[in-house]
Amino acid sequence: MYETIGIWVGALFTLAIYSFLYKENPIYRLAEHLVVGISAGYGMAITYQITVKPRLIDPLLSGDHWILLIPGILGLLYITRFIPRISWLSRYPIGFYMGTAMGVGFPLTMKANVLRQVEGAMVPLYQSGMPWYEVLGNSVMILGTLAALIYFFFSKPHKGLFFGTGSKIGIWVIMLGFGATFGFTVMGRISLLIGRIQYLLGDWLHVID
Amino acid sequence: MSAVNIWEKMLNIDRRWIFLGIAVVSIVPFFINFGMPVVTTTEVEDIFYYMDDLGPDNAIFVSFDFAPGTQAENMPMAVAVMRHAFHNNVPVFMTANWPLHHGMMLAAMEYVFNPSTVGFYQEVPFDDWRELREADVTAKGELVEAWENQGNQLSEGALGWVFEGRDYAAMGYAPVFNLVILGMTVSIETQYPVDAHGNSTGEMPMLQEHKSLREVDMALTSSGSGACVWWVTYAREKIGLPIAFGLTAVMATDYYPYLQAGQVIGQMGGLRGAAEYEVLLAENGITPSTDKAFTGMDVQSAAHIFIILLIIMGNLAFFAGGFHKKTLLKGGR
Amino acid sequence: MKRTVPLMIVMVGGILMILQYFIPHQISQTIFAYYTDWTPIILAFALVLGVGSLTRIHSHKIRRKSKNWQYSWAVLIPLYLMPVLAHIWPGSLSGGMDSPSIFHFIFMHVQVPIQATMFSLLAFYIASAAFRAFRAKSALATVLLLSAIIVMLGQVPIGELLGKWFPQTGLWILRYPNLAAKRAIMLGVGFGMLATNLKIIFGVERNWLGGAGK
Repeated sequence: MYETIGIWVGALFTLAIYSFLYKENPIYRLAEHLVVGISAGYGMAITYQITVKPRLIDPLLSGDHWILLIPGILGLLYITRFIPRISWLSRYPIGFYMGTAMGVGFPLTMKANVLRQVEGAMVPLYQSGMPWYEVLGNSVMILGTLAALIYFFFSKPHKGLFFGTGSKIGIWVIMLGFGATFGFTVMGRISLLIGRIQYLLGDWLHVID
Repeated sequence: MSAVNIWEKMLNIDRRWIFLGIAVVSIVPFFINFGMPVVTTTEVEDIFYYMDDLGPDNAIFVSFDFAPGTQAENMPMAVAVMRHAFHNNVPVFMTANWPLHHGMMLAAMEYVFNPSTVGFYQEVPFDDWRELREADVTAKGELVEAWENQGNQLSEGALGWVFEGRDYAAMGYAPVFNLVILGMTVSIETQYPVDAHGNSTGEMPMLQEHKSLREVDMALTSSGSGACVWWVTYAREKIGLPIAFGLTAVMATDYYPYLQAGQVIGQMGGLRGAAEYEVLLAENGITPSTDKAFTGMDVQSAAHIFIILLIIMGNLAFFAGGFHKKTLLKGGR
Repeated sequence: MKRTVPLMIVMVGGILMILQYFIPHQISQTIFAYYTDWTPIILAFALVLGVGSLTRIHSHKIRRKSKNWQYSWAVLIPLYLMPVLAHIWPGSLSGGMDSPSIFHFIFMHVQVPIQATMFSLLAFYIASAAFRAFRAKSALATVLLLSAIIVMLGQVPIGELLGKWFPQTGLWILRYPNLAAKRAIMLGVGFGMLATNLKIIFGVERNWLGGAGK
């Protein structure tokens, strides 16, 4: 019964959203607003029950984890944002997080997004037994990365053999990449629609498996 | 009516006709059911075979890093890997990087443990097997035996028992998830003293055996958000944890650099990636049949053909009507 | 106190965290463990900011009877109802079929369908955009278009049936030229992130201070 009512409610909201395809209407607007309220309310409930209660409130109430008052008070300082006279105090927790997060992220981002990528680009163009399309692919990958980097380098005018030709090759490579992204984007959007049709025709109407 | 007018009319067609067209091509194939084969790629096979080598001594993370908006793509990936893990008795830690993603984790469990799902797993909540735990019966084989000796019977159609705390732990959401990942490289229990059901994680056998991410063998991030990058940056680069990606199609092309550089072991891209994993599961007898992602691939074929036709028709009308030489077209609805 | 101390906190915290990565000493590991333990607790309170501003915006709309003000109730009621429901039925947070609850019901049968359907609307709009805007107006646009079509066909089973070269070429595009373009972007973004990190740590970038007090 619980499941059946739920699926009917879900199906009606699904149709309400699809009604937007014909024309903007009040039911769509209602659903649009509900989503904002529910997601924030859900977030509050989950955050309290899974993080704040077991990691802060319960240990503090048990009486032997007073050191947790430090993160507790720092966290509470966020709320001063709503009190104009002392709102500057909210900069303390923000500053604490900003600084430490930047510090923690620095070496790891350097490794993940820079060093590993440079390392990954160093592949042999040819090895015995390598099929032709891989040889071509590796060449395109290495030269393409360099050319695309040149295209994004705006400190020099894109003229001459190196910067001019390089950036021209770069934009071709980028277009091939964006084309692939567009193809995948189409696939992704259709997949989301498929999910809803499976819900309506399968879970709700039971006309498909 | 001049030829040019026909092209102009065509280009200014009410877009609701296109909407109707896409609706029709997305519904009809469900009733015809072509069942076209899905050929697997190394991107997905690499995850599958890596997973297949794992056993009860290993453990994996399945991170639900997607919201309901992309569940059609991300859910089948997470579900497929969960089923693979349960089949091989690999303990699964489930996390989420955002509150709504926490809900998706619960939805995945509801699906995998639901008796109406073909090939479901029968869940045993943490409290229900407390006695056995206290008697130190925690190894999967003897646990199942002891549990069945207590008079419990596997339901018809169920593929096996899964014990909460032994086979899975629903950890859920924690704020600033990138730092939570970092924190779990030191201790999982500190980041999650209790799970989503309020159970103490410290009492869970799987957590006692795998105390930090350093003692875990893989993390799959089924991701519709940038959280997948956090797993690479904060777990792979910090402690070398093998990462597998399950990405929405929109994101999939962006992360090929990670794949080629060996920072991720494989990647499922969109519904197609999930369908490939389902095919591998079914072909290897891990699930009785393929699931929703595979079924959706017929529709995906029809819709892609329809959109390609739209692109061709749009270009045909544009060039045949000579609009490439003219000023802007009047906009249609 | 109002600006200098927060800037100092950022700098000290940032430098300390960079150093701890390179110095795996016991002390640095202990600091790191405390840090990763405490920060999620601190940041959990940041949610209050979001909820606070959402409440302010919508209560303002209701008070002023702005256009479509009635819908603001649809934001505010669930916003506060959800935590109350979760408090009444703490078990309902975990969902599950055995303990159905209004809290879980609202998430599964209202939030999920609405959000999933909203995203799926994009399928209709991308089809319309493909018809109206995707033109082979130049050589570069043609390359983009052909790449998209090959990849689209390569990713679906029918492409395989039309010709083996569709999936093969599609994968080749993904694995090589696409990879090259995305790696160049990733490197650019990576350097940008590193520069921003340093600018924030050393107080060159101060936008995060906002306008709260001087």
